[in-house]
Amino acid sequence: MKKIETQPFIQEKFAEYYRQNSGSIEPPSSIERREFAFLLLKEKIMLRHKGFKSVDELRNMLINVIPSHVYYSTAYYEKPEEEMDAKGWLGADLSFDIDADHIQTPCNKQHDTWSCNNCGKTGRGASPETCPKCGGQKLDDKSWPCEVCLESAKEETMKLIDALIEDFGLTPQEINIAFSGHRGYHVHVENQTVQNLDQSARKEIVDYIVGIGLEPKFHGVEMGRGPNLEEAGWRGRIARGTYDFLLNATERQLEEIGLKKSVVNSLINQREGILKSWKSGGPWRLKGAGPESWKKMVQKAVERQSMKIDTVVTTDIHRLIRLANTLHGKTGLKKTRVPFGDIERFDPLKSALAFKGGTVKLAVIEAPEFRLGDERFGPYKNEEVELPTAAALFLLCKSAAQVKEEHWRV
Amino acid sequence: MLNRAEKRIEEAILYALVIEQQRNDEIEILSFPVAVMMVSATNDPFLKRRYALAESKRAYNLLKQENKEKITQLAATFNWRIESTKTVADFALHFADFLRNATGFHETKWKLVNRTMLNGEVYLTRDEAARLLAEEVRGHIEKKLETKIGLELPQNVENIVERLKQLFASRKGKMRLEEMPREIVLDAFPPCIRQLYNNILSGRHISHVGRFALTSFLINSGMTVDNVVDLFRSLSDFNERMTRYQVEHVAGGRGSRTKYVPPRCDTLRTHGVCPGMDEICRRIRHPLGYYRRKLRIMKTTTTEAQATQRA
Repeated sequence: MKKIETQPFIQEKFAEYYRQNSGSIEPPSSIERREFAFLLLKEKIMLRHKGFKSVDELRNMLINVIPSHVYYSTAYYEKPEEEMDAKGWLGADLSFDIDADHIQTPCNKQHDTWSCNNCGKTGRGASPETCPKCGGQKLDDKSWPCEVCLESAKEETMKLIDALIEDFGLTPQEINIAFSGHRGYHVHVENQTVQNLDQSARKEIVDYIVGIGLEPKFHGVEMGRGPNLEEAGWRGRIARGTYDFLLNATERQLEEIGLKKSVVNSLINQREGILKSWKSGGPWRLKGAGPESWKKMVQKAVERQSMKIDTVVTTDIHRLIRLANTLHGKTGLKKTRVPFGDIERFDPLKSALAFKGGTVKLAVIEAPEFRLGDERFGPYKNEEVELPTAAALFLLCKSAAQVKEEHWRV
Repeated sequence: MLNRAEKRIEEAILYALVIEQQRNDEIEILSFPVAVMMVSATNDPFLKRRYALAESKRAYNLLKQENKEKITQLAATFNWRIESTKTVADFALHFADFLRNATGFHETKWKLVNRTMLNGEVYLTRDEAARLLAEEVRGHIEKKLETKIGLELPQNVENIVERLKQLFASRKGKMRLEEMPREIVLDAFPPCIRQLYNNILSGRHISHVGRFALTSFLINSGMTVDNVVDLFRSLSDFNERMTRYQVEHVAGGRGSRTKYVPPRCDTLRTHGVCPGMDEICRRIRHPLGYYRRKLRIMKTTTTEAQATQRA
C-alpha cells in the first residue's frame, strides 16, 4: 500500500495495457498509406503526421509514447508524414460516427452535469446555453456513457447498417462496426468505389442517411396516395415511420407537430380504421386531413426514421479516427470491434473492458450510478470507495475521482 | 474543318451552346479535336469551362434522342455500372457513378435522398441518364482541355485562337461579378451568417462548420484577420494563438496559401447551420451570392430613395 498521484497512476495503467496488449493492435489496411496521430497522456500534446511501414513499428510507438488517444486517417496518402498540402490524397474510406451527443435519448442525459465557470452553479442534463442563475455563458459539461444512451446509439447503428446494405448495396465484408470506447459506435466502409468519392458525393450520402432535403413527393406521397409499408428505401421508411407515429402518438404529440385540433380529433377517432386500411393498400386518406397535415406527419416520420450520424465526420475526407483496440482516454475502455452479426447482443460495457484484476481505493467527488461488466457501481458523492481497476480507471479518466491506494489481488 | 472548329467555339462563347450541325460527318467529327486544341491554346480557364459546358449541352441534345442500347453502350465507355431495366424506370445506375455526375445539379430531384435507390442502384429515366451522361462528357472535355500543347501552332490556327480570345474578352466583361464594397455591411448578411455572428457576439457555442463558415465569410467580405480574431474573444474556449492561426489559415496566409470561401448553402444545410431561408435565399446557392445580391438591392433602393428625396 502506498500513496499515489492520480495522473501518473493513469499513465502507469495505460503503459501497462500497451505493454501487455500491443499484440492485439491490428493495423488498418494499407498501413503505409495512413497518417497516425497520438495524444500524449503526460505531455498533453498531439503528435501528428506519423507514418508506419509495419504494425510492429506502430506497436512499439504505442509502448514508448503512452498515448491517451490513438488515431489514424481514413484517408490514404502518397506521403502520410508530410504536411497536409503535400501528403498527396489518394482516397478515403467512408466512415460514420454515431454518438449519443447527437441523439435525443430516453434518459434525457440526466447523468450529465454542467457547471457555470462564473458563479459555480451546477445542474443536470444537457447543459443550457446560459447559466440560469447568473446568466454566465461559460459552462463546462461532463458527459457519461449510460446504458440507455449506448442502447440508443446501437439502435441508430443498426438502422444505418440496414441502409448501407439494403439501399447502398454494400456487403457485410465491406463494413466494420466498432464501439468507440465512450458514447457511441463507428461504422467504417472500405472498398474501392467508396474510396474515390469526393466531398460532395459524401455530403449527398450524409443527406440520404439523415433525410436532409427529402421531398416526400419523390417517394410517392401525393394527394391521397403514399408508399407501402414493405417497400424498400425511403419509400418504406416514410410509410413505416408515418404508421408508427399514428399508431403511438398521443393527442399532445399530434398537436405538437402543428396539426389543427379538428384534425387531431379526427385522427384519434378514426385511428383504428386508418391503421387497418394501411394493410389493404388504401392508406394516406383521412377525412379532415389535407395535404398540409399529411406533410407534417410525414416530416415527423422522416425525422424518426433518419439515422443520427455526425454529419461532419462522414464528409471530412481527411478525418482521423480512433484505432481499434486502443484505449479511450476519457474512459479507459478500448475501442472494440463488433462482429457483423453480433451487434444486437453486443454489450459494450462488458466487451470494451481493458483492465482486469486488482482494486483501487478512490476518493470519488461525484459519479452517477453506472455498470461495468456485470457489476453496478455508485452513485457516489464525496466518498471513499474501493473499486475494481476498470471501474476505478473509468472514474479517474472522467476526472470524477482521485486515487488513494492501490491494492493487488490476483 | 478549321472553320467549323472556330464556329463551335464561337457559339460556345456567344450562346454557351454548340448548335449548328454540319452535314459532313467527317468535318463534324474532326473539327471537335481541333476545337479542343484551340481552346486549350487560349490558356483561359473560364473559356475552357464555358466550351466544355457548351459541348456537353450539345451532347445532351443528341443523347436524349438515342435509344436505350446506345445510351448503355456510351455509358460503358465511361465505365459506368449501368443496367437497362424494364420495370418502372429505364435504367439502374450504381450510386457512385450517379453521384460523380449529379452533385453539380441543383434541382431537388437530383439529390440522392430524393431518388429511389435499391441495392446500390439508382433508378433513372432515359432522359435523366442522358443528362448525367452529358455531365460526364463535360468532365471528360474539361480534362482534355487541361493538356498542355507541346508544339507550336501553325500561323493560321494561331490567328483563329487570337480572334477567339478577343471575342471572349469582349464578352467576359459583362459576365464579371461586381466588386465587393470596402466596408462590411451587416444588414446585407444572409440569415445563417447573421445568426452565427449574433451567437458569437453573445458568447454562445457554435459548431466547427459554423465557425469556418463565419470566418471565411467575413474574410471574403473584407474583414481583417485582427477583427475576426477579436470577434471570437467572447467564447469560453477562446485561445488567441489557436484562433489567430486558424483565421490566418482561412485567409490564405498559411499552409497552402489558399484563401477559403464559405461552404455552399446546401452544405450548410447538411451540417445544420442553415436557420431557414428567406426570400433572397431562394434565388442563390451561396452565402456570398446572397451578400452581393442584397447589396445590390440595398443600393438600388437607396438610389431610388435619394431620387425621390431630390424630386
